[in-house]
Amino acid sequence: MWEFFARSLDASTIFTIAALGELIGQRSGILNVGIEGAMLFGATIGFMVAKVTGNYLLGFLAGIAIGGVIGLLHGFFSITLGGDQVVNGMGIWILGFGLTAYIGYPYTGPLGMERIPDALGLSPFFFVGIALIAISWFVLSRTNLGLKIRSVGENPSVAEVSGINVAKTRYLSVVTSGMLMGLAGAIYALDYNPVWNYNFLMGWGFISLALVFFSMWNPTILLGGSILFGTLWQLSLNPQLLFPNLLSRYIWRTVPFAITIGVLVLMSTKWFSSRWGAAKPEALGQPYEKE
Amino acid sequence: MSTEIKRGDTVLAAKGITKRYPGLVANDHIDFEIKAGEIHAILGENGAGKTTLMKILFGLVQPDEGEIYVFGRKVNFKSPLDAIDLGIGMVHQNRKLISAHSVIENILLGHPSAGGILNLKRAAEEITALCERYGYKVDLQAKVWHLSEGEKQMVEILKALYRGAKILILDEPTSALAPPETEKLLASIQIMTGDELAIVPFITHKLPIVLTVSHRVTVLRRGKVISRINTADATEQSLAKEMVGREVIFRLERVEDVEKGKPILQVENLSAFNDKGFLDLKGVSFSVHEGEIFGIAGVSGNGQQVLAEALAGLRKAASGKILVDGIDITNSTSLQRWQNGVGYIPAEQRAVGSIGDFSLVENMLMNYYFEDGFSKWGIVDTRKIRNLTEELIAEYGVATPNADVRAKGLSGGNLQKLILARVLSRMPRLLIVNLPTQGLDVGATEFVQNKLLEAKKARAGVLLISEDLDEILSLSDRIAPIYEGGFMGMIPGKSAERETVGAMMAGLQQKATVI
Repeated sequence: MWEFFARSLDASTIFTIAALGELIGQRSGILNVGIEGAMLFGATIGFMVAKVTGNYLLGFLAGIAIGGVIGLLHGFFSITLGGDQVVNGMGIWILGFGLTAYIGYPYTGPLGMERIPDALGLSPFFFVGIALIAISWFVLSRTNLGLKIRSVGENPSVAEVSGINVAKTRYLSVVTSGMLMGLAGAIYALDYNPVWNYNFLMGWGFISLALVFFSMWNPTILLGGSILFGTLWQLSLNPQLLFPNLLSRYIWRTVPFAITIGVLVLMSTKWFSSRWGAAKPEALGQPYEKE
Repeated sequence: MSTEIKRGDTVLAAKGITKRYPGLVANDHIDFEIKAGEIHAILGENGAGKTTLMKILFGLVQPDEGEIYVFGRKVNFKSPLDAIDLGIGMVHQNRKLISAHSVIENILLGHPSAGGILNLKRAAEEITALCERYGYKVDLQAKVWHLSEGEKQMVEILKALYRGAKILILDEPTSALAPPETEKLLASIQIMTGDELAIVPFITHKLPIVLTVSHRVTVLRRGKVISRINTADATEQSLAKEMVGREVIFRLERVEDVEKGKPILQVENLSAFNDKGFLDLKGVSFSVHEGEIFGIAGVSGNGQQVLAEALAGLRKAASGKILVDGIDITNSTSLQRWQNGVGYIPAEQRAVGSIGDFSLVENMLMNYYFEDGFSKWGIVDTRKIRNLTEELIAEYGVATPNADVRAKGLSGGNLQKLILARVLSRMPRLLIVNLPTQGLDVGATEFVQNKLLEAKKARAGVLLISEDLDEILSLSDRIAPIYEGGFMGMIPGKSAERETVGAMMAGLQQKATVI
């Protein structure tokens, strides 16, 4: 039983960090639906670097760096060129899917390094995730930088006339966002499931994306949502642990995705937006042009 | 600024400001100066170059020629930040505040001494001191979307002052305020000038306010300074004449002698929700008769928008009944309402009243496509609708090169004329007009108001929704001030007093219904 929950918390860590990255970007007004692609890059590059150098730290740093580069790329298309953020994000996903399948192919198989030791029976990254949530909450709600990030996400033209550099603030957020996604991917590939295969994330990024909406853009609710989805994910893999002989395991396998669809549909209803709409960054997804 | 400012010092001077846009000289060698402790109003119609000048003074736009001096030093603004740093503050007409954030967060946004970690306690103390100085009362922790227009403006002024503004630019400062809020604003401005602040209000309409508070007035027309007058030497008529370039009749001819006929619109206990899911309209009942203008006066956000949309068929009624000529249209579509003789002129000319990327012909078609003769078997008779559009453009004096230009290229006044032409040419039985002259200059306002009186003469029932007290008082036969979703009473237009209606709009005074 403990094993089941420990593995659930390990899984939730990846959701937490990836979704936190998405949340920071979205609070600044930049939607990145290509989170799955950014994670695939972080996972694959991190895996390759760790395998070649035999050094975990270098692997994680490489994952974070490539995530930052992907964030910068998304920023360039979405902020500087003012393109459609959904289209750019889909592009990042397709690029991540295709390119990592190509460059990672020779590395197919297990990492073959000693596993990262647990801390208190859990992945040490669980605690990293909690620390990142606490830091993000503090920065967003209590600091000048956080106020700037929230302001460019709510109403960039107001921020502009208040003397804020909108593009700079959004770039900062979107690169940070990408770095966290890259880190989440690297944790998946180096700690959670250190066996490379093409497209081995299989939807973790999309669930993280849904989690941001589920969290109503609040880091603390995000943590709760991640743990819930981490548990569901484990349950979907091993339903017999809790509910032996109930339903086929293929049905269990769809549960996290079905719930994701349900959450997204619910969030897009008028009923929901009329009650909770104020939580959504008002300028989310909208390119900003100076007057 | 460390330099001491004395009363009468010139704090801001602009010399020979020129800004050209393709096919247009927006500002043509404009000179302007303001002294500490002075209120120097800039007056002009839409398109006179006010907005461009304002943007230049605040660093949003860079002039092609000319020089700006602040406290005697030549400056070159590259962005609003440069202007803010030199002590220029701006209070925007469409409030530049973040509605999801609290008041204090809005005031602190962009403040140089906000620091890494926000010191909300110290900031709150300092802002509260400012509030006391100028007689403002505002809850610093409240979210901005909860505030009234007047409170939002207060927050913008506080934000500018907290950043150390010595020169305050006010864009149409009284345009969305209830009368008591206007009084409060004017009182606080008086205190500010006592503190050697310089105030520059930019104004298109509401001339009386210019006269009560300002020391000097600069009038712009077609990008040029037409005159600079000491307010003491000016009258409302003389200013309007300078501004428009011809005499303007201020007193509209009241049309009293239209026989009041049978009721056209009957509304019974109508309630409706707004977009946020709050009950914005709380059970109003009234009727509008043939040959009558029924005026609903209210500050925006008191339910009149929801009422207009519910009557036009754009919003579902939560409860209650709407009858037009005795037919229940509560659940009719807006097309059925058009066919029943309801005409709607929305407040949002560009978002609801027209499609910007469509030509004028196509925009005209929007109220005609369902009419026999304009389409057959689903195919539009383009020649017929084009002829109609061209006739109406000529009749209503819409200034446009031809009928094929896109609607978004028209100015506000011309677009409103086009929408009026489209709706009135169908001879509606009931005309619903929401903020018909909002943002229009003096000339266009006069035109629109005369058209409403013509509709009344033609025995239509007119439901006029307006924030402009003068408009309501001069046009309406009956007035119903609306406050927080309900009528404060119903009074005859002939004997209505400005102060009474103003107080009722602000929810201060209730009056028994007089039919």
